[in-house]
This record gives sequence, C-alpha cells and structure tokens, in this order.
Amino acid sequence: MVSGLAHLFRGLLQAPATFLAWFRERWAKMDLFDESHVEEARTNPWYSLGGMWYWVWILVILSGVVLMIYYIPVTDQAYHSIERIQQNWRWGPFPIGSLVRGLHKYGADAFIILATMRVYRMWFSGEYKQGNEFSFMIALLLLIIGMYSGLTGYLLIWNQRALWATKVMATFPTYLDQNPGWIPGGTLINWTNQGKTTAQILLGGTSIGPATVTRFYAFHFMLSFIPMIFFELRVYRRGFKRMNINHWAKLATFAVILAIAIMIPAAQGSPANPEVTPNPILSDWYFLAMYHFLKLQDPYLATVLTVAIPFLVLTAMFLDRRPEREWGKRQIFNWIGIGGLVYFIAFSFLILNGIADLHRDAPIWYFSMGGFLLVGYVQDWAYVMKRDGKRWYETFHLFFVAFILVCMSANTLYHYFGDIREWNVLGKAEMPKVLAQLQLTHPLATSDQAYEWLEKNRPGLNLWLTSHKGPNKPAGLELWVVHVIAWLGILASGALVGLTRWGRRKDAELAALAAKAKAKTARA
Amino acid sequence: MTENTRRLFLKVVTSIPIVGGAVLAASILIRFFKPTAIGGVKGLVAPPDEAGSSIQIVAALSELTEPWDFKEFIYIRKSVEYSSRKIQGAKIPGFVVRMPDEFTNPLDPKSKFVVVQRICPHLGCTFNFVKSPEELAGGYNYKPPAPTHPYFACPCHLSVYDPTRKTEVNLQGLLPGKVVSGPAPRPPRTMSFDIKDGQIVITGTEGGGVG
Repeated sequence: MVSGLAHLFRGLLQAPATFLAWFRERWAKMDLFDESHVEEARTNPWYSLGGMWYWVWILVILSGVVLMIYYIPVTDQAYHSIERIQQNWRWGPFPIGSLVRGLHKYGADAFIILATMRVYRMWFSGEYKQGNEFSFMIALLLLIIGMYSGLTGYLLIWNQRALWATKVMATFPTYLDQNPGWIPGGTLINWTNQGKTTAQILLGGTSIGPATVTRFYAFHFMLSFIPMIFFELRVYRRGFKRMNINHWAKLATFAVILAIAIMIPAAQGSPANPEVTPNPILSDWYFLAMYHFLKLQDPYLATVLTVAIPFLVLTAMFLDRRPEREWGKRQIFNWIGIGGLVYFIAFSFLILNGIADLHRDAPIWYFSMGGFLLVGYVQDWAYVMKRDGKRWYETFHLFFVAFILVCMSANTLYHYFGDIREWNVLGKAEMPKVLAQLQLTHPLATSDQAYEWLEKNRPGLNLWLTSHKGPNKPAGLELWVVHVIAWLGILASGALVGLTRWGRRKDAELAALAAKAKAKTARA
Repeated sequence: MTENTRRLFLKVVTSIPIVGGAVLAASILIRFFKPTAIGGVKGLVAPPDEAGSSIQIVAALSELTEPWDFKEFIYIRKSVEYSSRKIQGAKIPGFVVRMPDEFTNPLDPKSKFVVVQRICPHLGCTFNFVKSPEELAGGYNYKPPAPTHPYFACPCHLSVYDPTRKTEVNLQGLLPGKVVSGPAPRPPRTMSFDIKDGQIVITGTEGGGVG
C-alpha cells in the first residue's frame, strides 16, 4: 500500500514525459483505412472494409458536390428543389437526378454500415491493443461523424422526419442546464445556460428556421471535408496507398449502391410542417435504437448517457489492458460488443412496432445489460483463475462482480419498490382498492389521494424510502444506505488491494532492473 | 528525475497560460456563433432567448362553450437575433382547452381554461389533444382509467399529460398537465393569458424549449 502510493506519486511527476512518449508511439501506428492490413485484405474481406469505406466516402462527396449545384438551402424552396432534382433532372428515359441523390443517400448509409462493421471488427479482434488505440478512436469518431453528417444532411430535405429529428436533437442540450447540485461544475453550467446556448448555436436562433438550414448545410459540408483534409495530409506525408482493394471491388461497391438507387429511389417524405407531429414519427435507421432508448429514460439521464456512450466505449477500451487478443481470453469485452449489437437490433425492432412502456420495460433492459456484463465477468473470472492458478478470492474479479451485483439489485429494487408511485408495483396493485374505498365517501377522490393514503398508512409498500421510521422496521436499515455502503466498501477495498498489488509488482520490477544492472557492473 | 523531464514539465507549465490566452482570443469569434448576443455579464448568465411579451388574441370565448372544446393556435414569440433583422419570431404552437365545470373554480373565470404551449417539454415535438381512449391506448401506449377524458399526448416518445391534474414545478408553481405516462420530466410550458372583451389574449410565455 505505502510502496504503491510512492510509485503513484513518482508516476504523477513523470506523467507529461510518459504521456508524450505514449502519444508519439500511437500516432506513428495510427491506421486510417486499414492501410497497414494490405496483406490480410487479399484473403480476408473483413480487412478490406477500410478501403471500401474510403471509396464510399469519395462517392458520397462527389455526388454531394453535384447535388449542391441544384439544391436551394432556403426553407420554403428546399423541399421543391429536391423534388426537382428527383423528378425533372432527366436525360431521356434516365432519371439522372434520382440516381445521383440515391448514390448520395445510399452511399451515406453504406458509409455508416461499413464504419460500424469496421468498429466491430476492431473490437472483437482486439485490434486496439498493442499501441493501436488511436486507430480504434479514429474509426469510432468517423462513425459518429458519419451519423451526425447524416442528421445534418436529412434536415436539408426539409421533410417531416427531418424537422422532428432536428427538434429532438436540438432540445437535447437544454437538459444540460438541469444538472443536479452534487455534480462538480454543474451549477456553473446551469447558471451560465450552457445547454440552451448550445441549442441556439446549433439552430441559429430559438427555433428551427432559415438560419438552421444554413447552419446545418455548413455543418454537413464541414463534417465530411475537414476529416478528409486531415486524412489526405497524412496520406501525403506518409505516402501510403489509400485503398487496399482492387478496381473490381470498387466497381462492385459502386454497382451495388447504384442498383439500390435504381430499385428503391431515395424517399422524400412529406414537406415539413412545424404545427403537426405525425404519429408515429421515426428517425433514420441508425438512430432508431437511440430514439427508443429515450423513451425508457428520464430525459436528463438520457441526454447524459447519449453523450457519454462513445466515451464509455473508449473507457472500456482502455480498461482492456491485457495483451491477449484471442476470443476466449477477453470475454467481458466480447459481451459488451454483443450486447451493443443485440440492443441496437432489439430497440430498432421495438420502436418500429411501437412497443414501449416506461414502467414495464426499463428495468428489464437495465437488468439484462447487467446480466450481459455479469456473464462476461464470470467467464473471464474462470479464465484468469485457470491462467494464474489462483483461488477465486485471490483474483480482482471479486470486486467487479460484487459491484455489478449491487448495481443490479439497487436498480431492481428502485424500479419495483421505489418512490416513483407509478413504478412501484406493490403500491400500484393496492391503489385501485384504496381509490374505490375513498370514492365511497368522496366521489371526486383521485388516484393521487389514494397514493397519499397508502404512503401514510402502509409505508411498508415503499421499501426504498420509508423504512427509517416505519412501524415495523428498525431505523438505520434503509435500502439506499445499504447500497451506498456496499458501493463505497467495494470501491475502497478494491482500490486498496489494487494499489497494494500494483506497488508490489512495481517493486519487483525495480528490483529486477537493479539486479540486472548489478550483474552488468559485476561482469564489467 | 532527469533533466529532460524537468524541461518538459516547465514547457507544459508555461504553455498553460499561452493556450488560455488563445482560447480567450478565440472566444470573441465563437461568441458570434451565438445567435442572440447580449453584451456584458448579462450575456454570460442570462438565458439566451429573452422571450418577448407581445400581446396576441388567440380565441373567442364563443368558440369554447362546451366542456373539452379546444382550439389550437400559433403564438409568435419575438426574441433577439444576431442578424440584420435584430429580431426573430419563433412560432410557438399552443392549445386552449375549456375545462368541464367540476375541475374549475367558480370564483375564477380564468380557471375554466387551460392554456399551454404545445411544445413537449421532453424533447420538443408538438403534442396532440387526444379525445378517444382507443387512440390513446393504440397510438400512445396509455390506457386511461375510467371515467376517461381527453389527454395531451406526444407522438415522439409517447408522453401523456392529464390536463385535469396539476404538478408543482420549480419557480413556476402548480401547473396543469401532470405527466401520467412516458418520459417527460414536467408538465407542458405555460402561457400567461387574460380574458378581455370575450376573447382570450396571450400576454407572455414561459421561456426555454425550442420553437
């Protein structure tokens, strides 16, 4: 423990130098379009994703530049200019405008599909290890940029879907002004209205209007071009081949996108009307899962989580510190990846079928997410015990699994017995009976009053809040206190044990170095 | 600690004020991204949309005689804009609903009406006034308890508001439109109104939200 603290202190002093060396190594290894996987790409199609991805990007930019000539970025003409591109721009029997637009739209979809597949390939094969963190970061960043480019792009069509998706997206940041007081710096953010200001910077005003279209047009352009400029500079300096695929593969990709554009002309929807929100209203396919996620959350939490998900993925990447890249030796991270995929598909399915119940579904999803992690932890635990020949209590996994179990139990208890009246299943079952009783004497009694009666007279129904002075429960056994003590205890003991082991390992490393140096001098 | 580490440490320490100065200089440029530029300290802390208080007639009492009669309207809220126009008109859709007598205070004529902004306080969609319980159950995932009455319901994330019930909101007092289903955090934003010469007149709106 003491030697661990000493090592920590020394490490902090040397942090800038260490970080610079770390950064330089990764910067040199950074891989943009799988250009360092030329050999693998010949036999394994998974490694030609990077090249295809760059190729599709070029197609989208080219078709976009052509569309820019005909598109009019003004609210009352945008929709009609798209209509003209789609219908009137023909060459004999060939609908050229429709094809160019289809190429742009389906090319963008292909960009997102390829970027997603590439991120998953890197995740599942542990490619971000051994100094390749930046390659993964760039791949993930480009996926996010692609999604935001899509979001800013489909407002330009100025149809209903675009308008309402933009509205939802622009209202998001306003929740950042509602930070609870215990978040450090939260009050300052609230006080200076950073969230509202962000929303207004995005929209160019307090509402979606002409300024919004201009700004989104600019963002749409920038999001594609600025990364491209940086990439080209790197290509120029390093002199590598951009695409690791042959011309036939390029032609095939182009042909597939063109064939889809011919068979399914890009949809246009109905013109935007800020006074009517159609029911149902959905976003583009890659945001569907996120959109469903919003239905299951308190909006502040949903906003924070939506912003935090990419950062959580990056954090998870840095937690995966072992050098092993084999599938069976990193089960936690496999399960995180599988979970992401499963939730993406399941949530998209649910929202398309209009299935959403905040009270019924949310705990199921939280619990299953915890379940995914738990399965991964237990598998990994078994692997670590086998690898190191250790007993279960000697491995660090004890702390992770305990933490997940406490989180899951807290979540479940909160949702089923918590202080939100309509989520508390016990209280909800009792309420109609009480309401019927109350209505015998007071015909205007409401369910609110029934809940109040229940809270006063049957505090045992609410396990989360009322146990402190409840008639049957001793004080000091409130559930949240138990959970907080468990969390803090796990964190503190985990940190203590971890620091001690780390210090011991560092000591051993230093001793080995010293012994080596001593042997050298002795030989000399 | 080597000579090299010390030099690097000094470099890092001296670069902090330089980077800070650059950020300050850039902030002057970035300020103009903000559409409603207000100068001084006020510009730092004031909510950027300063809702204007223009007065607008939206409905006549003769249109709202029966219980649950409603009218949708558009209120133009004026706010400052950083452009040659200096002013921006945000269209705020609204609802005025005539409440049945059992939910009103006979001494207060204004309590007969619920006037709200139609912008869902969740993520800004325009919500609807849904009268049929079948539509509520089918389209909005909410089965209203008997005796049933109309609700406000938002198609985007299926929040449902009960106009007959009120909730306490920070700094705003009791507001009608308690959330009974869905993820919305609070009742719809309000509009202040008066009844003058048999007409309903909007005198101002609660800020926040995206029009």
